[in-house]
Amino acid sequence: LGACRVSMSMTEVRAGFTAIKANIQSRDPIRTLSILSHPHSLHKVKSSDRCCITHQLFTFYVDKVFKHCRTEDSFVNRKISSIANSFLSARRKLGQCHEQNKCVCGEESTEKFKQILANYEGLNVTSAAMKSLGELDILLDWMEKSR
Amino acid sequence: GDVLLPAPQSISILSTNMKHFLTWSPVIVQGATVRYSVEFQGEYEREYANGSWIPISECSLTTATVCNITEDISATVAYKLRVRAELGATRSPWGTTKGFFSRAMTSLTPPVLRVVADGHHVLVELADMGPSFQFHVLYWKKGQESRVQQKVVKEVSSVVHLDTMEAGAEYCVKARAHVEAINRSSSFSPTQCVRAQGDTSVWL
Amino acid sequence: SGELNCSLPSPRNVHFESINMKNVLHWSAPEGTGNGVLYKVKYTVYGVGKWIRKPECRNINRTWCDLSSETSDYEEQYYASVKAFLNGTCSDWMETTRFNPLTDTKIDPPMVSVSSTDRSISIILTAPEKWKRSPEEESISLLQVYPGLQYNVSVLNKKTKKRWFFSISNNTLVVPWLEPGTAYCVSAQIHVTTPLLDSDFSKEHCITTLKDK
Repeated sequence: LGACRVSMSMTEVRAGFTAIKANIQSRDPIRTLSILSHPHSLHKVKSSDRCCITHQLFTFYVDKVFKHCRTEDSFVNRKISSIANSFLSARRKLGQCHEQNKCVCGEESTEKFKQILANYEGLNVTSAAMKSLGELDILLDWMEKSR
Repeated sequence: GDVLLPAPQSISILSTNMKHFLTWSPVIVQGATVRYSVEFQGEYEREYANGSWIPISECSLTTATVCNITEDISATVAYKLRVRAELGATRSPWGTTKGFFSRAMTSLTPPVLRVVADGHHVLVELADMGPSFQFHVLYWKKGQESRVQQKVVKEVSSVVHLDTMEAGAEYCVKARAHVEAINRSSSFSPTQCVRAQGDTSVWL
Repeated sequence: SGELNCSLPSPRNVHFESINMKNVLHWSAPEGTGNGVLYKVKYTVYGVGKWIRKPECRNINRTWCDLSSETSDYEEQYYASVKAFLNGTCSDWMETTRFNPLTDTKIDPPMVSVSSTDRSISIILTAPEKWKRSPEEESISLLQVYPGLQYNVSVLNKKTKKRWFFSISNNTLVVPWLEPGTAYCVSAQIHVTTPLLDSDFSKEHCITTLKDK
């Protein structure tokens, strides 16, 4: 991500998400709305803004998403904990880079992130959180493609 | 009357090669089978989820005094673990690990390495240490210790081709285990040398 | 047309089968229905507001429908749905789970070509191409889709029965210093670390090194 590096084991987070993907996505009945991919796709973000968008999205998931995704399924809760703690660890590293001004937020990423928050706030909090968690592979696909 | 159950004592974590186990001393109640339940808490749960704890189902109501927590210690953050005793409806207070545990604290042992010469080719076989591991294999022509080459090996399910050797030359190999998730490596395995044309490996 | 009575059982096991991003929708006939059932298919891009009918899969009696063209953008995710009709009755729509072409496709083994001299063999590997609408369309190698793509190569000495493995990122491998006049069999597999995707190993390609001059 330019001068910054995301130190997160994508393999572990991928494996954790794949294990609960069907369960989580089945709890999201809304086909016509996406938090991350519409109307603006992550894949259209300029490379210079990639670091900042990643940092904002890690903060979004840590602050807003994971805490509202508790389920009745112990296995799912344990995998969510694993992903949440991985995001927390990665966000801290990116935060340090952000403080050293190597992860600057341009206008586009600020606009893009505003749109994501608007999509999120357009739903009730549990539906929005579960939909966001179900879209984790959209974020991981984008992060891997831009590595 | 109801038995007063003390919290389990001597709670500790044994962690080697990214496999982590919680152990504790048994709570003894004459003529009764005491069971135990284990929960974990990551940094996320402490800071963002009101200090909540998550049960480990494989170690709920277990009679064992050890619990494999590897699957749940799956991020490089500080974790806390706790265990309590249960006898019928009676439950002991929680016994909690002192301080925090991070998987970066695991102890790493050198890999088990077998070096084979097959004609002009030197091959290595590495024992599998788990999905978190890759191996830094260093090799050099004997006498040219300053010209060491390195190969990163990730697939260990087979005999991996390292390089081709000059006729009659002796080549030496050593390897260490590396865990990218915690950015740490083990110490090196003992060096093994082989000579081209089918020599068996020689321990140094 | 008047609203039909939809009491027919729904199609079952509606799912995508995808190889190299050729994405074909498959399903099983509704429980207890014999011949004569017809189907229609629709799909939607996840996050976009409308379902789109697939005209070529309207009133069909087969139980598959090729949606490769409609799902070719692998930066999007999709749902598809099938409805059954029989003797004036119909079923409810039955949907797939969310389909992500990037992570839910299966990859074919690489193409392997082998040549030899007296003491070495040269191996050239070619990753499969992403499905495309027509031969004229520009080819996209799966190497471009999965930047972290690697090859695991197995070389078997038929005389000594010893098998060696190589893990390479580029698509050529030369194995020098072999025994002359000896048969070697090569097969290769594609390995993508994340998302985790492994092809099967290709069938073996055997070649004999030339006899010593």
